[in-house]
Amino acid sequence: MRSRAAVSAMSVALFLAAWEVAPRLGIVDPFYTAQPSRVLIAAIDVARSGTLLRDAIVSLSEFAAGFALALAIGVPVGLLLGTFRTLRYLIDPPIMALYATPQLALLPIFVVWLGIGMASKVAVVFIGAVIPIIVNTMAGVRQVERPLVLAAQSFCATRLDVFARVILPASQPSVVLGIRLGLSRAVLAVVVGEMYVSQEGIGNEIMRLGSAFRVDQLLVYVLLVSAFGLAATNLVRRLEERVAR
Amino acid sequence: MTGRLKPIGLGVLSFTLIIVAWELAVRAGWLNPFFTSQPTAIMTALERAARAGDLARSLRVTLGEFAAGFGLAIAIGFGVGVLGGWFRTVEYAIDPFLWFVYSAPLIAFYPLFVLWLGLGTHTVVAISFLLAVTPIAVNTMTGIRQTSPQLVLAARSFGARPRDLLWNVVLPSSVPMIVAGLRLGVGRALTGVVIAELFVPSGGLGSSIAYNAGLLKTTDMLASLMVIVALGVICTQGLGAIEARFDSWRTGPGL
Repeated sequence: MRSRAAVSAMSVALFLAAWEVAPRLGIVDPFYTAQPSRVLIAAIDVARSGTLLRDAIVSLSEFAAGFALALAIGVPVGLLLGTFRTLRYLIDPPIMALYATPQLALLPIFVVWLGIGMASKVAVVFIGAVIPIIVNTMAGVRQVERPLVLAAQSFCATRLDVFARVILPASQPSVVLGIRLGLSRAVLAVVVGEMYVSQEGIGNEIMRLGSAFRVDQLLVYVLLVSAFGLAATNLVRRLEERVAR
Repeated sequence: MTGRLKPIGLGVLSFTLIIVAWELAVRAGWLNPFFTSQPTAIMTALERAARAGDLARSLRVTLGEFAAGFGLAIAIGFGVGVLGGWFRTVEYAIDPFLWFVYSAPLIAFYPLFVLWLGLGTHTVVAISFLLAVTPIAVNTMTGIRQTSPQLVLAARSFGARPRDLLWNVVLPSSVPMIVAGLRLGVGRALTGVVIAELFVPSGGLGSSIAYNAGLLKTTDMLASLMVIVALGVICTQGLGAIEARFDSWRTGPGL
C-alpha cells in the first residue's frame, strides 16, 4: 500500500522532468511550452517587479466587491424564495434560466453598460457568484425537514422563531455549499472579465503576456490564480465541515 | 391538477412581466434602447437572422464545438474516471493534474492554443473539453469508489469475474454520480465554448456577441445571448430526462 502523497509527488515530479527534458532533446519547441526551470526564473522576475502587487490589488478588490455584493443579496433572496412559495414560483424561472446559461456571456453587455473599468468586472463577478448562492440557499431552506418545523410549531413557536431558530440553522450547510460554488465562478469571472477588456489587473497582464507569447511568465500568473482559487475554496470547505457538524 | 399548473402559470407570468416591463420602460423613455434594446427589436433581429441563415450558421458552429468538446470530455473523462476508480495508484497519480485543470483559469491559455491549434474552432473545442473533463472524471471515479461493498461481495460470491463486476455491478451503481458529473460537465462545456468564442472568432454565437459588442449593436448582441440562454435551458432539461431513464433500475429513493 503506497501512500497517496508519495504517488502524487512522484507523478508530478515525472511530469516536470519530462517537461524539462523534452525541449532540451528537441522533441518540442520551448517557445511553445516553456520549461519548469524557466518558469521558476520567471516567477522570481514577476515577484521582483512591482506590477504583480498593483495588478493583484486591482483584481482582488474587484473580486471582493463583486463577491460581497453576491453574498449580501444572494443569501437573503435565497432565504426569501425558499420560504415563500408564490414568490419562488414567480422568480425561480428567470433565475433557473440564468443558472443554466454561462453567465460570462453577459460580460460584453456589462462592458457596454458599465464601461471598461472595474464596475463591469464587479458586475460579472456578482452575477457569476450570486446565482449558485441563491439556488443553493433556496434548496437548503426547502430541504429543512418538516417534522422539525412541526415540532417547533407545536411548542408555540411563532413564524419568526421557526425561521430564525429552525430554518436558518438547518439550511446552513447548503448555504455554505452555494458560497463555495460561487467562489470558484467568481475567480474565473474576474480573470475572464479583465482578459476581455481592461487596463489593469491580473487578467490584463495574462492577456498581455499571452499576446507576447511569454509562456513562462504567463504560467506564473495562471499558477497564482489557481493557487488563490484553491486556497479560497479550501477555506470555505473547512467552514463547510464545521457547519456540518 | 391545479397544484402542478400553478408553478407553470406563475413562471410564464414572470417571463411575460419582465418582457412587458422592459418593452414599456423603453417606450416610455425610461430606458435608453441604445443600451438595453427592447424585446420587439430583439425578436425582429432574431427573425431577420433566421431568414438570412445567419442564425442557423452560428448555431451550427456553436453546437458543433459544444458537441465535440463535450463528447471528447465524456470519452476521456469517463475513461480516466474508470481507470482511476479501479486502480488506486492511477487515482493518486492523476489527482494533482485534475486539481490543476479544475482550478486554473484555463481561458488564460487560449493564446497558446491558438499557436498550437490555430485561430478558430479547434481552440474553442480544446477549452470547452478542458473545462468539462474534470467533473466527469472526478465523479466517475467517486461513483466507482462508492460502490457498496456488499454488492461487490455478493457478485463475487456468485463467481463474477472483474469484467462482469465492472459492467454489471460497479458501473450501474455509479450512474447517479456519473450523471451528476455529466450535468456539471454540460454547463462547463457550454461555458467553455461561449467564453472561448468571446476571445477567438469562430463564427459561433459567442463570437457574434463579441463582434456586435464591438460595434455597440446591443440588439444583435442580446439576440445571440437569448439563443445561448435557450441552449443552456435545453441542455439542462435534456440531461434531467436522460438521468431519469438511465437510473430507472433503482427502485427506492436513490443515493
